Amino acid sequence: MPKLSIIVSSDKLDKLYPAAILASTAAAMDWEAELFFTFWGLFALKKGYEPKNVSKDYAQYEEAILGSVESGSLPRWRALLNSARQTGKVRIYACSTTLNTFGIKREDLEDFVDDIIGAATFLPKAKSSDVTLFIS
Amino acid sequence: MAENRKTVIVDARYMSCPGPLIAASEAAKKAEPGQVIRLLATDPAAPSDIGEWAREVGYKVLKVSEREGIYEIEVEIR
Repeated sequence: MPKLSIIVSSDKLDKLYPAAILASTAAAMDWEAELFFTFWGLFALKKGYEPKNVSKDYAQYEEAILGSVESGSLPRWRALLNSARQTGKVRIYACSTTLNTFGIKREDLEDFVDDIIGAATFLPKAKSSDVTLFIS
Repeated sequence: MAENRKTVIVDARYMSCPGPLIAASEAAKKAEPGQVIRLLATDPAAPSDIGEWAREVGYKVLKVSEREGIYEIEVEIR
């Protein structure tokens, strides 16, 4: 089974959507996907988090994205990620260093987070992947 | 034979990528081998995306047509 690995390091709409779209597409295509959320990306795994902002330089396009979400043409980010995970082919990891640095606890994170891991655990997953991406 | 089974209509009009693909994939999971899914989509990426998806998972695209901006894509589930 082909495998996709993604490092997600942003909590913005324009970075989180590509990650969730690629992961859910991978799962639909019977691929596996491993997502490692680090730095600001980890904030997106906090319970109930739903991205509401785009990266600063593109603030004028925020409304267009949120409008697509409201109209239903784009699913809500968390629902998209969670449904991808429910296929059993997508795993979601939180970066331990980020947790420690910002004093975030396991119980602050969504239940769909599979594990808290470090770089040495993620690298072999990326090594055995066919596609590896860093979304920042 | 495909014609003996009911074709499943999946309405994914006005959904952006990956909506049509996810909708097709969910319908495919519920379908039986040999059954046909008829996907309706307005996303211009749908014909190509559905074609690649079908190739990856081993399904067969039977028909792709477009009328007034609405794509109709038939996929046989295997």
